[in-house]
Amino acid sequence: MSEPISVLTQRYDVPDAHTLAGYERTGGYQSLATAFDQAPTDLVSQVKDAGLRGRGGAGFPTGVKWGFTPRGTGKPTYLVINADEGEPGTFKDRELMERDPHQLLEGIIVSCYALESERAFLYLRGEYLWPGVRLEHAIAEAYEAGYLGKDIKGSGVNVDVTLHYAAGAYICGEETALLDSLEGRRGQPRLRPPFPAQAGVYGMPTQVNNVETIANVPHIVQHGVDWYRSMGTEKSPGPKLFCVSGEVNRPGNYEWPMGATAREIVEVSCQGMLDGRELRFWTPGGSSTPLLTGAHADTPMDFEAIMEAGSLLGTAAMQMFSDRTSVVEAARNWTKFYEHESCGKCTPCREGTFWLSQIYDRLLEGRGRSEDLDLLDEICDNIFGRSFCALGDGAVSPIKSSLALFRDEYEHLIAHGRLPDGIEAHTDAVDRNSGHGRPEQLVGA
Amino acid sequence: MSDDQITVTIDGTEVQVPEGTLVIRAAERLGITIPRFCDHPLLEPVAACRQCIVEIEGMRKPMTSCSTKATDGMVVKTHLTSDMAAVAQRGQLEFLLINHPLDCPQCDKGGECPLQDQALAHGPPDSRFIDQKRRYEKPIPISPQILLDRERCVLCARCTRFSQEISGDPFIELFERGALEQVAVYEDEPYHSYFSGNVIQICPVGALTSTSYRFKSRPFDLRSTGGVCNQCSAGCNLRVDTRRGGIERQLAADNMAVNEMWNCDKGRFGFPWVSHPERLQQPQARGSLLALEPVSWHGALTTAAEGLQAALDAGGGDAVGVLTGGRLTDEDAYAVSRFARDAVGTDNVDFRLWPRTDDEREVLAAVAGAPGPTYEDVEHADVVVVAGLDPEEEVPILHLRLRKAWRKHGQRIVVVGPTLGTMSEIAWRWVRTDAGDEGRVLTALATGATTGELQDEVAAALGGDGEGAATSVVVLAGERLSRSPGALPSAAMLAQRRDAAFAWVPRRNGARGALDAGLLPGLLPGGRPQSQAGPVADAWDHVPTAPGRDARGILEAAAAGEIKALYLVGVDPVRDFEDPRLARAALEAADTVIVQDLMRTETTAYADVLLPAAAPQERVGSFTTWEGRRQPFPQALPPQRLQQQDWDITRQLARALGADLGWETASDVRAEAAPLMDRRASVAERLAALESEPLPLATAPVPPLEEGELEAVVADLLLAERSTLLAGADDLLATARTPSAVMAPADAERAGVGHGDTVEVRGPGGAVTLPLAVRPHVVEGSVVLPGNALEAPVGTLADPDDPTGRLRVTVAAAPADELEESA
Amino acid sequence: MFNALRKGFGLTFKSMFRPSSTTEYPDTRRDTAPRFHGRHVLNRWPDGLEKCVGCELCAWACPADAIFVRGEDNTPQARFSPGERYGADYQINYLRCIFCGLCIEACPTRALTMTNEYELSADKREDFIFTKEMLLAPLPEGAKPPPHTDDEVEARGMTYYQGHAAQDPLRHWQADLAAPEEHGDPVTTDLLDDPRPGGGQG
Repeated sequence: MSEPISVLTQRYDVPDAHTLAGYERTGGYQSLATAFDQAPTDLVSQVKDAGLRGRGGAGFPTGVKWGFTPRGTGKPTYLVINADEGEPGTFKDRELMERDPHQLLEGIIVSCYALESERAFLYLRGEYLWPGVRLEHAIAEAYEAGYLGKDIKGSGVNVDVTLHYAAGAYICGEETALLDSLEGRRGQPRLRPPFPAQAGVYGMPTQVNNVETIANVPHIVQHGVDWYRSMGTEKSPGPKLFCVSGEVNRPGNYEWPMGATAREIVEVSCQGMLDGRELRFWTPGGSSTPLLTGAHADTPMDFEAIMEAGSLLGTAAMQMFSDRTSVVEAARNWTKFYEHESCGKCTPCREGTFWLSQIYDRLLEGRGRSEDLDLLDEICDNIFGRSFCALGDGAVSPIKSSLALFRDEYEHLIAHGRLPDGIEAHTDAVDRNSGHGRPEQLVGA
Repeated sequence: MSDDQITVTIDGTEVQVPEGTLVIRAAERLGITIPRFCDHPLLEPVAACRQCIVEIEGMRKPMTSCSTKATDGMVVKTHLTSDMAAVAQRGQLEFLLINHPLDCPQCDKGGECPLQDQALAHGPPDSRFIDQKRRYEKPIPISPQILLDRERCVLCARCTRFSQEISGDPFIELFERGALEQVAVYEDEPYHSYFSGNVIQICPVGALTSTSYRFKSRPFDLRSTGGVCNQCSAGCNLRVDTRRGGIERQLAADNMAVNEMWNCDKGRFGFPWVSHPERLQQPQARGSLLALEPVSWHGALTTAAEGLQAALDAGGGDAVGVLTGGRLTDEDAYAVSRFARDAVGTDNVDFRLWPRTDDEREVLAAVAGAPGPTYEDVEHADVVVVAGLDPEEEVPILHLRLRKAWRKHGQRIVVVGPTLGTMSEIAWRWVRTDAGDEGRVLTALATGATTGELQDEVAAALGGDGEGAATSVVVLAGERLSRSPGALPSAAMLAQRRDAAFAWVPRRNGARGALDAGLLPGLLPGGRPQSQAGPVADAWDHVPTAPGRDARGILEAAAAGEIKALYLVGVDPVRDFEDPRLARAALEAADTVIVQDLMRTETTAYADVLLPAAAPQERVGSFTTWEGRRQPFPQALPPQRLQQQDWDITRQLARALGADLGWETASDVRAEAAPLMDRRASVAERLAALESEPLPLATAPVPPLEEGELEAVVADLLLAERSTLLAGADDLLATARTPSAVMAPADAERAGVGHGDTVEVRGPGGAVTLPLAVRPHVVEGSVVLPGNALEAPVGTLADPDDPTGRLRVTVAAAPADELEESA
Repeated sequence: MFNALRKGFGLTFKSMFRPSSTTEYPDTRRDTAPRFHGRHVLNRWPDGLEKCVGCELCAWACPADAIFVRGEDNTPQARFSPGERYGADYQINYLRCIFCGLCIEACPTRALTMTNEYELSADKREDFIFTKEMLLAPLPEGAKPPPHTDDEVEARGMTYYQGHAAQDPLRHWQADLAAPEEHGDPVTTDLLDDPRPGGGQG
């Protein structure tokens, strides 16, 4: 039985944590001195030993990834922070940057030092205006106070941070498309190899890391590997932000150690499902991960256990749906999203999502044909693993899994031209949740 | 690319390929064609269409063979042996077809469409797609020459990659995303590129089609013949598609040694002149009313021979002048060369009508007939020195090679001269010189007596032991260099001193062949001086002993009445000679003017006898590239009417004069010419042999300019409305660059004129009015004039009595009345 | 011998009373089988526009190389067929034609069909080359001979190809040369918007 914890979110309730004064008062920027006392490569091994895994979705061990960065090439190394949080259901980085931007900056400084990089690019989702304002203030304050710029606090370490607002494309969360976009080109994924670690931004060695990943780094440096490993599971240690949304009483970001179960998180932090509703299906890590059912509610939320259950932990964006909600409608909604966000570069993703979306329209308009289910399945097979990047794979995950788990609903729809009784296209979850039990809005604070 | 060979197993067969080879290329070696759309051997892989998916053992996912490099021991299964690959490929094809309009009957690509072929070979018999396709407006013109149909597009990005990677004119780009992704042009910038036609040829569907071939024919109804382009000295290989005695289109043919798989728009679309009404259709001669009348070939040749005979009787061989132009084949050039010496007995022959000083003969003699650096040598060179040449405007495919070398291995391209031309993107250093002063700077680079940091740096890069010194250097000297005193010899000496390969790069396709055939006074085929005729003496009855007159000399002598008969083969002196007044005077004064040409020109009006010649597509022959590569070509279609091949006309004219040159076919001419025109000794060896008698290098600096004066640099444009060989190619000409005078910002400021103004360029002999472009890539004190695109030839600006041949002009805002006229 | 005579004349005599199978051509003409392969015809739409789009598939299919087609662009002022392309030149050489009917199988618009007409004779070889004018079906009653203007076609509001035409029949690319600012605007700006214009095909 896990308990909610407070590591990354420790300052969420401090009203002025977003200012330098508030951050310093609550123990901020303490890890710098510890970090600068060590050799950069020691920091990399520390992160490796701590078992920090990428929080952007793939869960690749961060320390190992950092180890790929060539050193002493004579070329500059860049750190790119992927703050293009676009995965449906995911909103952890937004709050992190809104409420505690200095925590991220501290992570950037330590990570840059570990990577021997003097320049970090913060690639921020274009719609994140409020986090952007907070970050701009924080960066300005940090420069002022000497935490950024040349010779940070007399240590001889130089770190510059460039904040870049993205232009609004889901695909730019894919790291190579992000790099193209950052360079001012069309955001479309690049061929690999060469990998960004060898040739990333402007052809230079580049590390691309998620916001939450980087925010973990100062805590590891400050408190040590053992402390970090005391949270979470053996293979997935550390704290994790879970973004819970959907038909629960209190949606939001909740910090739990890795390995907490969905039931715990929903019951304890979200105060359960909305009245009288049973959990029917949910995404463990955003819409790009295969759906799980209510039967999986006790699966520990860590990379291994979720994979064993047939899905992926992804960004830990838990979208919870009850027995009153149509899975077909949800899948159509996601498919429309992927159709809209497909970059158009490769055939299967571009044409496949275009086709899938029209089939879903037909199904829900009562014009489905019995052969459409096999067609859906086959189109998904033709996309999965054959598209250029993971967007195509993600697009078919909800379709494939919903077809496998809830084929009866599809069949009912085709047979009768309407959804089964008691199941609606849109439940009133959004209305029921609005303004209810949520933290105070930050706008204008 | 490494030479290490690795072994890959594809469909159970082992194949050895160099390391770094892509799987799709390795499969091609075995004759296994993996279906593909976006892959193109000369473009960077993009892996967008996903059609070439194969199964690779040990890989979790299916892989795209166009982007996966083969590794040693790799085991690949294509669609032929792997169900997984076959299923995946079928799936991608189905995807590509769902949004394709399937309007094959209306589409120009129908019958030669990779998508059609693959749908037929691997595709499903019927579509499972019953929904709505995406819809766009049917074709939108992205340039006057190219139509884009976005519904048919499979978004393979071949065209956009071509324009970015190969031609460097990225005016087309992919816009939007998802299923709405589309190729488009920028709002105010149509796709104006000299190489735009290539995107039509590489488009794997009918999304890009040409306006000139629109709905003209189907591939099965076309007869395809190989050809060699006649538009410049690049020597691009062509595919000429004809139907019912007319050319329907021309495509680039593959020749990796020359044009790779590309050609320029001029070569692709510049063929309508062949069936143009201005073509000379039948022989004509002056009749009783002194007007040109159609006559029989026999009559025309007899009249011509009588005129020549009369001149010979009056003043011997010296009373006849022979001028040729830049369009002749090697056979023609040799035939005329021998005709002049053997049948007429004169050395008054010249093919060089361009303005020039008189110091180029030694260099040209060294170049003639010798194998020079090839395209591949240029591509692999570390440093290339370009002087007096703007490759994109003059020899476009050479520009693509230079660009490829710059892009692939960072070739350092040094431009020497008063203008950077269109080389600003790829040039490494621009050694600025005043117009006319190239010679002294080239000499300085050769001897190391450089001034200034830039020149030092370039000199260091050109050779020696210093850091960054090149291991291989090529010097490309253009036709324009002839205008500057001592420049061509200096360029040759630079090559000699720096152990570099030297190439003389003329603009016109027949120039190199004419040089090799000895179509200039004092030189015999193969660059032999008259004193060392060698095998020429055995083949010919008469070998002249003293050099005859050059082009200017011939025209002056004709104007003075010393030359009575002129034989003009494929040349239009009124338009092409630097001094059109002299040309007109000469043509008026000569008793007999025999014009042998393709089209009606300003010169044909002066003709006493007109002999219509067959177009290159209507005959056999061979053209020599600037490299010295001879490329024979077959006949693609019969002559329009009564035209004959030039060498044959010349042969018959000789016979009418009573001389039998002994040929019956073009092969006879070639067999006789080849050993005489080719020489084994390389350019370098022959230049080295010249060391004993030093080259006439430039020494004197350019005389200072008067206040407000500018030195005129005459640079020709690729597409000029007045080119006879672009007659009828209206769509192509609509893409031409606006001919304008180009000058440096400081000069423009001094003259009080600005970019886009209409200016009057006035020389001692006259003035022209044209738009002005202000660009930093012209040195101060010079103005670049578009020679072939001006209303009147540049020569009309010059003082006809100025012996220096230098042209100094003033530039001022055009007077208001002229503006009104032009408006 | 008498026997032989009797046999021979008997047959003749008997035949005199049989019904005659001789047709008094050309006074009487026999009907052909309904699917007899006779002279070709180029069909029209009910409004008089031609069905032929000049695709040359008939010429492609022809094993005797008897057909020559050349397409051209319809313009807003001169429209001969719906769509981009029409057959500007159409010739069938009946000295070569073997009446196999592969051409009409190949025709994607049912523009080319065969009539039952078999009376093809002439006294000059040139006369056997039938041109487009000779092959075109007569105009439907009240229809105007092509070319039509796009305004006229639009005013009629007729649908062609059951609404499955691959593009708006009333658009011409030369209009874009005059108005380049229209480039890049797709017919649909957002695929998610319903209803989608135009009709697609499977």
